[in-house]
Amino acid sequence: MEKYLYIALFAPLVGSLVAALFAMSPRTLFTGIFTSAMLGVSMIASFILLYSIITTEQIVHVTMMDWISIGNLSIPFGFVADQVSVTMMVVVTLVSTMVHIHSIGYMDHDRSFNRYFSYLSAFVFSMMILVMSDNFAGLFIGWEGVGLCSWLLIGFWYHKEDMPKVKDIKKSPFSTLSPYSSISPGYAANEAFITNRVADLGMLVGIFLIYWNLGTLQYDQVFAEIGTLSRGLIVGIAVFLFIGAMGKSAQFPFNQWLANAMEGPTPVSALIHAATMVTAGVYLVIRANEIFTVVPEVGYFIACLGAAVAMGAAFMALVATNIKKIIAFSTLSQLGYMFVAAGLGAYWVALFHLAMHAFFKSVLFLGAGNVMHATENEINIKNMGGLHKYMKPTSIIMTIASVSLAGIMPLSGYFSKDIILEVAFGSHTYILWAILYITAGLTAFYSFRLVMYVFHGEENFKKFGYHPHETHSYVIASMIPLAVLAVVAGALSKGTFVEMITKKLPELEIHLSHSTANILIVITLLIASSGIAFAVFWHRKYGTYFSGKMENSFIYKLLANQFYMPHMIDNVLLKPYLAMSKLAWKIDIHVVDNIVDGIAKTVYIIGGKSRVAQNANLSKSLLTMVIGLAFFVVLGAIYGFAK
Amino acid sequence: MEHILSILIFFPALAAIIGFVVEKNSIRAYGITVTAIELILSLVLWYSYDGLNPGMQFTEFLPLIASYGISYSVGVDGISLFLVIMTTLMTMISIIGLTEKRDLKHLIITVLFLEMTMIAVFLVLDAVVFYTFWELSLVPMFYIVGAWGGKLRIYSTIKFFLYTFTGSLIMLVGMLYLGYVYFQTTGTWSFNLQDWYMLQLPFDVQLWLFAAFFMGFAIKVPMFPFHTWLPYAHGQAPTIGSVILAAVLLKMGTYGFIRFSLPLFPDASVYFTDYMAILALIAIVYTAMVAYAQEDMKQVIAYSSVSHMGVIILGTFALNVEGIGGSIFLMISHGIVSGALFMLVGVIYDRRHTKMIKDFGGLALVMPKYATIFGIMLMASVGLPLTIGFVGEFLSLLGFFKVSPIMTIIAGLTIIFGAVYMLVMYKRSFFGPCNNPENQKLEDVKGRELVALIPLVALVVILGVYPKMILGPVDKSVTSLIELMHTKAVLPSTKTTLMQLNSIGEVK
Repeated sequence: MEKYLYIALFAPLVGSLVAALFAMSPRTLFTGIFTSAMLGVSMIASFILLYSIITTEQIVHVTMMDWISIGNLSIPFGFVADQVSVTMMVVVTLVSTMVHIHSIGYMDHDRSFNRYFSYLSAFVFSMMILVMSDNFAGLFIGWEGVGLCSWLLIGFWYHKEDMPKVKDIKKSPFSTLSPYSSISPGYAANEAFITNRVADLGMLVGIFLIYWNLGTLQYDQVFAEIGTLSRGLIVGIAVFLFIGAMGKSAQFPFNQWLANAMEGPTPVSALIHAATMVTAGVYLVIRANEIFTVVPEVGYFIACLGAAVAMGAAFMALVATNIKKIIAFSTLSQLGYMFVAAGLGAYWVALFHLAMHAFFKSVLFLGAGNVMHATENEINIKNMGGLHKYMKPTSIIMTIASVSLAGIMPLSGYFSKDIILEVAFGSHTYILWAILYITAGLTAFYSFRLVMYVFHGEENFKKFGYHPHETHSYVIASMIPLAVLAVVAGALSKGTFVEMITKKLPELEIHLSHSTANILIVITLLIASSGIAFAVFWHRKYGTYFSGKMENSFIYKLLANQFYMPHMIDNVLLKPYLAMSKLAWKIDIHVVDNIVDGIAKTVYIIGGKSRVAQNANLSKSLLTMVIGLAFFVVLGAIYGFAK
Repeated sequence: MEHILSILIFFPALAAIIGFVVEKNSIRAYGITVTAIELILSLVLWYSYDGLNPGMQFTEFLPLIASYGISYSVGVDGISLFLVIMTTLMTMISIIGLTEKRDLKHLIITVLFLEMTMIAVFLVLDAVVFYTFWELSLVPMFYIVGAWGGKLRIYSTIKFFLYTFTGSLIMLVGMLYLGYVYFQTTGTWSFNLQDWYMLQLPFDVQLWLFAAFFMGFAIKVPMFPFHTWLPYAHGQAPTIGSVILAAVLLKMGTYGFIRFSLPLFPDASVYFTDYMAILALIAIVYTAMVAYAQEDMKQVIAYSSVSHMGVIILGTFALNVEGIGGSIFLMISHGIVSGALFMLVGVIYDRRHTKMIKDFGGLALVMPKYATIFGIMLMASVGLPLTIGFVGEFLSLLGFFKVSPIMTIIAGLTIIFGAVYMLVMYKRSFFGPCNNPENQKLEDVKGRELVALIPLVALVVILGVYPKMILGPVDKSVTSLIELMHTKAVLPSTKTTLMQLNSIGEVK
């Protein structure tokens, strides 16, 4: 089985390196096909591992070689395929393979086609390291690796220039109603990288705490011995690790980069900013569940933060017209759901939702990519409309994915989301449950608001002279497996999954009577379906959702401006930091360096002044001599007396 | 093999003298050959080095002034070995990448002399001879900046010379006094470092001597607030000067702390840990901010050097194997990465005769290879895992975490602020549209530049993935250094602190 582990891990790297060889040469289809094939290989190997773990329960654990080894510290390149990581591997490679194939069509005309595939496969490799590593340092390698690839891919169209920061809500790069996802791809890339670095510092501190208290970073040893530490210390470790998770999974206050990351090519958003990388934070909490279980108060905080983000993001999605940002907010919101589950101790539920979400969300993004392609990179959903007629397959797939996202029985989203609500209710955290419950309704609404605006109603795109057409059939074909999984994965896999995963992760400890559970299911389905129904009927009737009066309201502007977070970041963080830096530079020149020059000048001036003494006048020299002699005699006398 | 260290030291000097008779046209080839042979010699040294033996190897001893115990004494251990190899490598690379046309012959001869002094500083084990080479290294650098520098070259080079020279003089006083103390204690004179290692000094004497040595090393490093000569020197120096200055000369200071201050004054080192750490923290945070404010690409990298040197000092004064080992690794990695970054700035300066960030923009479109190499070095500079930059930074911070978690968190800002100034500079020069017509026809890196840069790129990755080849010998020698400090400490509290810093246990 070790063989398959290495294949699963290194096939994407091979693909990436081979594609990198062609980075400077003109577009060649070979890179796209080769990297996709390598991903396919990796996916098959991951499935073989999954099958083997389900049937034999044999965990595959390998240590390749030492990485850093000094003093008491010893970090190997060690990889493990257990129930948790194999689930992640399958999800990651499956979605990645489809996204790679989709990208062949999507990036068809891009002159940096080869470079794109090199980055995309490098991302998958980093992600595999992240989920397969058997220690915290290895996790950190993957963690930073995906960050790097995210930087490269968000800034993929780096040549675009910075958009001016204007007040007009329809043009401001900070608003979700404007045609710009952020100031520029370069800006968004840097923002993502730096925000993650802030959180990474937290994670590093967590790693340092683990090392100096337990002397190792290997998962199995850390988790075995974590109980020996004092409670305060475990809280510290859990908090610092979670800060790292907050960065990657874009939880408040590190959320802004995810919305701006929509500057990247859309398949990238599907893979990195929906299905895989952003769920790394959830994965970390699941992986380190032994730590978080000991300190339920930290878990409760995680759950509360998750619920707040779930709802806040859903609100922002209500008014946005930027198709990618709506889906990005939806991702943020669903990440919040996962954190509620993980925070409340339902680790496998979080993992299950992570997997289901990966399927329906990635296909939703890929569909959005098709739509944008068909309308010459239009991102405003109000400028589309009636596209169903022109691109039926995309329309159907996106509608299915949206139903799944809304959590309608018996699609995949229903199975995973419903348990999260049950967990919240069963853990007696009724407020969290209520928040998630309302959010479920909002989710259904904004998802179908998007579907209605894009695929139905008036054909607004005609005003812009777009000629929409369906994309290549192989692109659609790459979406079908994901769409099918978005429908059936929940129903088919839940039993097997629960059986497998509870060998590694704790079982659910909620006690809901059968009838309560049923009532919950019914009312959740009710709110979700009424959300959909409302979106559909309102659009049929009025063609739009918010009246002009509402659009002028404070709430609407607040949501369209993303709670003014981009403005705050700009004014409270970036500008003061630049001003302080400039001040520091001034201090450096005018104070620190001036003192140095001052000392030098003083010596120089004293030298100049005392040069008069050397005037070759014998009597003056004698006088100086006498004064000097007298001075030293007096000094000697004083010294003698003092002693 | 007996005399390999002496050969390493004097071969470049001998070659420099012969260089005077070499014809002008072939001087570059001559320079590359000499430095390549020197590099091979240093690799041979590594090959023959016994990684399991933590002590001094290949030692040579030749009394110079026997009555005062001054001798030519050389030796290499895990701490100096890789600094020597880094020196020979970076010297060769900088000569390969050399684009200077004026007085090329003089420049190359000067660099060869400089190479001798740098290698000698890392190998010599006698304080007086060490001091001699330490000061001697100023002369070629003074000449390089003063003769081949920019507009402000005279001011800068005099500032560089006088500033570092002043610090070194105070260090010399300390060395002479320490020799005297040795004489008083044992009855014989000696300036041999290994003899000094045997000497237990009273606590107050340690404090004074630590301060004296500090002046010499801190200005060289440079530590805040003694760093202001560096931006001028880098700003005015030609590319080769900046590369060698950043890669090697700065490391002399941090090497000095590890070779002299820690083992000679263990109690003072423990006593001064907090003060050193505070200076390092200021350097890390404050100069990172100054770097962000810069408008000149080269100055960004110059200030970033000061910031990174702060991390090295922090690792050194963690006083545990992880921290000191990390700081030694960071010296190597910073040498390679900052050297490469200065070369990269040189590449664009040769083409555009400007280093101002605002003159660029969209360079990635016209110079993709250049942008890629710059990007890799940038990532190494911000300490991305699996690049060379991560290991040292990680270990230094990890080591110091045992001393003070709070200070480490502040120092950890380096991973944020470092990313800020590097990425923003990268965005402003490489991203965006390429509007300036002067930039639209720029030629990508080619030929000689690639030959110089690609080995560095390879090293950045190789040593990032497999740092063990360096960490192995470093680990051994640093462990024995800590043991030496432990045996030599006169205060029981120092012994406990050292024990505590080097063992796993509760940290809050």
